[in-house]
Amino acid sequence: MNKMINWIDARFPLTFFIKHELTDYPTPRNLSYWWGFGFLAGFVLVIQIVTGIFLAMHYKPDSNLAFDSIQHIMREVNYGWLIRYLHSTGASAFFAVIYTHMARTLYYGSYRRPRELLWWTGQGLLLLLMATAFMGYLLPWGQMSYWGAQVITSLFKATPVYGDEIVTWLRGGFTVDDPTLTRFFALHYLFPFIIFGAVVIHLVALHTVRSSNPSGINLADKDNIPFHPYFTIKDLFGLGIFMIVYLLIVFFKPDLFIEAANNIPANPMQTPAHIVPEWYFLPFYAILRSVPDLAGGVVAMGISVMIFAAMPYLDRSRITGGARYRPVYRAMFYIFLIDIFVLGYVGAHPPSGTLKMVGEICTTIYFLTFLLLPLISRWEEKFVLARGLPPAVEAMARKEIAEAEGNA
Amino acid sequence: MRKSILAGLLFSLMIPVGHAADQAQLKRGAHVALEVCNGCHSLKYIKYSDLLKVGFTKAEVDSMRGDKPMGESFQSQMDAATELGMFGIVPPDLSLMAKAREGGAKYIYELVTGFYTDSKGQTANHAFQGVKMPDVFMIAQADAASRKEIEGKVRDAAAFLNWASDPYAEERVTLGKYVIGYFFVLTFLLYLLKKKIWKRLK
Repeated sequence: MNKMINWIDARFPLTFFIKHELTDYPTPRNLSYWWGFGFLAGFVLVIQIVTGIFLAMHYKPDSNLAFDSIQHIMREVNYGWLIRYLHSTGASAFFAVIYTHMARTLYYGSYRRPRELLWWTGQGLLLLLMATAFMGYLLPWGQMSYWGAQVITSLFKATPVYGDEIVTWLRGGFTVDDPTLTRFFALHYLFPFIIFGAVVIHLVALHTVRSSNPSGINLADKDNIPFHPYFTIKDLFGLGIFMIVYLLIVFFKPDLFIEAANNIPANPMQTPAHIVPEWYFLPFYAILRSVPDLAGGVVAMGISVMIFAAMPYLDRSRITGGARYRPVYRAMFYIFLIDIFVLGYVGAHPPSGTLKMVGEICTTIYFLTFLLLPLISRWEEKFVLARGLPPAVEAMARKEIAEAEGNA
Repeated sequence: MRKSILAGLLFSLMIPVGHAADQAQLKRGAHVALEVCNGCHSLKYIKYSDLLKVGFTKAEVDSMRGDKPMGESFQSQMDAATELGMFGIVPPDLSLMAKAREGGAKYIYELVTGFYTDSKGQTANHAFQGVKMPDVFMIAQADAASRKEIEGKVRDAAAFLNWASDPYAEERVTLGKYVIGYFFVLTFLLYLLKKKIWKRLK
């Protein structure tokens, strides 16, 4: 055995790799279970890829056959119903895990220097995930699949000058049709592997800057422990809890995230009474609808997804540890969270008088949270420093402030 | 919208799905669905062989199918062009109907039993204004006794359609209990292991 490993090590850094990334990789010992969601996201990606490959063996990307082939999977393929429900529930699980992962980053300020690139690769992963989920949702070729794709692709009409051409180019025709289905299928199969590659880049960035931790300070060497076995076992226990919740839905409420209208085959001649996107797009959909002008709405929606990337610059406080030592930032975090849930509710319902107004107010709050952050964070920094902080946190903040002033 | 989903879930709990004790109801419902509904509606994802799963014996299915193969699915007994001429619409397929409407099987029951005679003497429907389906069971004119009988038949048919929309529901729930049980044990063991490993840290 040893001889074999030596043989490999002379040609490939196997032992070095295991040591460097696992058994010797220093991890802050105070990481809470909120730090386990990145691992969960990676696991869900594997579930989605594996179930997806098996589904693709039985699925037919043809507008005349797609809907029936899903029922073929549900009724005739051995355990096809299980594979399909794992995949359809897995999409929702993926977003639930990723949104929690993002919320942890925002709460603890993990996007701060020196983790900007880590955060931006994550932002890129979010976009890839959204695109993959959107294209995957067309594949069952139900009414909501069809009309959802019709609505979202038509948003590209807002492009100046070439709007109509771009929409036609994306769809492969004047409406969503067979060419749209086949290209979405091809890309839906491709994107997960691009995501996989992007995850590797995300992990390389993580292992360069190392994990942030809830205290916000750089821990002493003795408080960093090897990733394996301490965090492998902690993550596996977290995974057990996750699997229980996920499988409860898969086995007992598998239709929870499937709209009734999507069990009706796509019909280009008949618009459903109420087109709703999947729950994970609802807040952004509400923002789109809250802006009266199409182009304005599309731009607002795009910015609402992309604005997270600007967090390292919008947050100008030098107090580490995120919301922990920052009462105003903490309040903003929770207001923002509630705001997103209200936007989600608004996005799920037809825009009526009051609801429309609620959507407009929440859209304003959404953007104001980001736009006011540069001012509030600087003011809050002074306030918190005057009020007093734990010595280690204060020292770090004062050092960073002194460095910034020295540069200026 | 969400409320009707909830109501549908509650109703689907009231119709026990595919359980042995209720096979009698599913069998009665299958007769109604195949002798009445299938006159105009297809059930294209249901085959003769599927009837074995709701408790029909091989002999019973053989007598129902005549010389048709076991793997043949239930196409509408009327052709689409005739239907289009008669109703102005091709009646939708029923095999997924209990999943394709908000409210599921409850909605099917309410629609089929929802016919009444309005003030102008026309047949109307409480659940779906302007529905193109005729009052097949003539419930609008029925007296109390026959109304009760019709409601029973429709409830059975709705239960069968609920089964048809998700034939593996029973197997899924049974398997699910074992899988969740397994993960509870595994997760508990992982928890113990985690505690044991983290004890090494001082």
